[in-house]
Amino acid sequence: MAGYLLRRVSQMILTLFLILTVTFVLVQAQPGDYASFYALNPDLPPDVREQMRATFGLDRPVWEQYLIHMRNTVTGNFGVSFGHFPRPVLDVLAERLPRTIVLFVSATAVSFYVGFLLGKAIAWRRGGILEYAATISGTALFTAFTPAFALMMIWIFAFRLGWLPVGKFLDPLVWRDADVSSTSVFSLMLLTAAAFLAFASLVSFASRRSQRIGGRRSAVPLLLAGALVLALAWYLSGIGNLALDILRHMILPVATLTLISFAGTMLLTRNSMLETVREDFVMAARAKGLPDAQVRDRHAARNALLPVVTSLIYSLVFAIDGSVIVESVFSWPGIGLTLLEAVRTEDLPLVMGAIVFIGFLSLLAHLVVDVLYACLDPRIRYR
Amino acid sequence: MTGLGLRYSTRQGEVRALRDVSFDLARGEALGLVGESGCGKTSLAKSLMRLLPDNARPAGGEVLLDGEGLLSLPEEEMRRVRWRRISLVFQAAMNSLDPVYRVGQQVLEAIEAHGVEETVASARARVARLFRLVGLDPRVMERYPHELSGGMRQRVVIAMALSCDPDIVIADEPTTALDVIVQDRILRELKAIQGQLGISIIYITHDMAVVAEVTDRVGVMYAGRLVELGETAAVFRSPLHPYTEALMSSFPSVSGEKRRLASLSGEPPDLADPPSGCAFHPRCAYATALCREQSPPRVGRGGQWAECWHPLDPAAVPVDPA
Repeated sequence: MAGYLLRRVSQMILTLFLILTVTFVLVQAQPGDYASFYALNPDLPPDVREQMRATFGLDRPVWEQYLIHMRNTVTGNFGVSFGHFPRPVLDVLAERLPRTIVLFVSATAVSFYVGFLLGKAIAWRRGGILEYAATISGTALFTAFTPAFALMMIWIFAFRLGWLPVGKFLDPLVWRDADVSSTSVFSLMLLTAAAFLAFASLVSFASRRSQRIGGRRSAVPLLLAGALVLALAWYLSGIGNLALDILRHMILPVATLTLISFAGTMLLTRNSMLETVREDFVMAARAKGLPDAQVRDRHAARNALLPVVTSLIYSLVFAIDGSVIVESVFSWPGIGLTLLEAVRTEDLPLVMGAIVFIGFLSLLAHLVVDVLYACLDPRIRYR
Repeated sequence: MTGLGLRYSTRQGEVRALRDVSFDLARGEALGLVGESGCGKTSLAKSLMRLLPDNARPAGGEVLLDGEGLLSLPEEEMRRVRWRRISLVFQAAMNSLDPVYRVGQQVLEAIEAHGVEETVASARARVARLFRLVGLDPRVMERYPHELSGGMRQRVVIAMALSCDPDIVIADEPTTALDVIVQDRILRELKAIQGQLGISIIYITHDMAVVAEVTDRVGVMYAGRLVELGETAAVFRSPLHPYTEALMSSFPSVSGEKRRLASLSGEPPDLADPPSGCAFHPRCAYATALCREQSPPRVGRGGQWAECWHPLDPAAVPVDPA
């Protein structure tokens, strides 16, 4: 496994190198002279112009600029953003990237879970009302035009019903008197989520090691207690309302993304499940006298999951791509919106940085799914 | 088991997979069921455990286990009968083991579902015992199915079938996928285990050699019907039904005189549209107009009987099919 990881990481570095090169070529291929755009821009103060020239080697030949570009990327020096002057690009990205990751990881997780549950259910009991309702509505949503559907969701739930905020990351009125920054609150929220996940895996691990058969206690009360403790900690911290505000802003985009994409997982799970239930080991599980739910979940669905996980790669890449559209519709200040803004304002350092990070993110997601797949299927041992 | 019938509804119309099959099985007895592919052997096994696909419909009959009717049991109670009372050795051992779990876990799962053991530790000890019984190193428990050879997998499947001390084990082609040497060894072990544990076994096979080696009685199936049933030795010595004779002469005998192997010509009949009268008449050397028109009577000699108009032993007399 270690050898496999090492090889994958070196492949990733190679791919990243290609991404960097293509990005550089694309920016160079733009009409107008990249170098003179900065070097001669009278809007920039002279000292900044000088600094830019030195950082990007703007007065050097193109091939040297390319080498400088590579060196800058490796050392994490993406220069200074124009749009967010004088903040460095890396600083802007470090603030925006987690928001995108959280939004899309939660949306992907929710839509995968919903799609998998529905697909499993409709394959197990064929021909019910659920099958028709889920298939028709799922397919309709899957084929819907994303921006139009997102706007419709905003119109219904934010504008007409007023249940949820229209867009953006937070409500300025709530944050006016806050003495903490949204970034630090958000980081704390991430930390909480990570802590809860660690706790949940610990509990499930412990309950699986239980020695008594039949008298196994459910882990749900313990998990609820854990969640309650964390919620109480937030409530007492005095910044709970701020975290709640961010959460409220997340609901609509996550729900929209889920509705748009769950049908893919659902239909794939359904087909995969219909194949799996014909397998002998599913009949063997029934013959062993296992309860119906156990045959369905532990054997049929567990094996049907394998090809579906492969599709997770595509939905993750789709999510990262789609971040540009979805984030701009919901004014969610993540990396997609940042990229769009940067392109519009010709904030080239930020464009380059954002593209590099999106590429890096896609590669990372790919690696994570590959490793996940190996964990799920014992027949696969990477060498 | 009496008068069991089974129909599959298919696109080609209704297929009558089993027609009025009846037999009984004593405690500790080994019964063989033989016949060509598609004669209803596996359907019979699945009917006994109620594991039929959705398009199958029982058509009459009853399965009695210690006087209790299984076909009318609620699903939840039937679930408890499966494996605890009747278990199954599947014909394709590779496919009947779930590829994503360790094989020990899959045996453990059955033990847990039926509450045969109190703690995980004792259940694991039980699995280890079973593995030793079928000639496997208990460490094999930690392996995945794809890491085992065909013979090892078959042993795991046998250990799994024995895991809840069942009364009846149905072995559906237990050794067909294995090479002859492993096949023979596993059959011997299965027979020894049967004697040791006092369980009843139904061997389902198309291999007459297997039947001769391990069974007490044998039933011959043709086109969804049981056409002959009797003590294995008696049936082999002098079959009553022409089909039984044809089946036997298509296998070589080691001790008997040298002879040409006869192969039975023709195909088993289409069960969606079975022939009139005796289903075997289109392929039978002794068939007459009577066979084409009317269902054959049951004739017997001692404990052995067959359904035939022209039994091979003229001494056979009509018996009451009760």
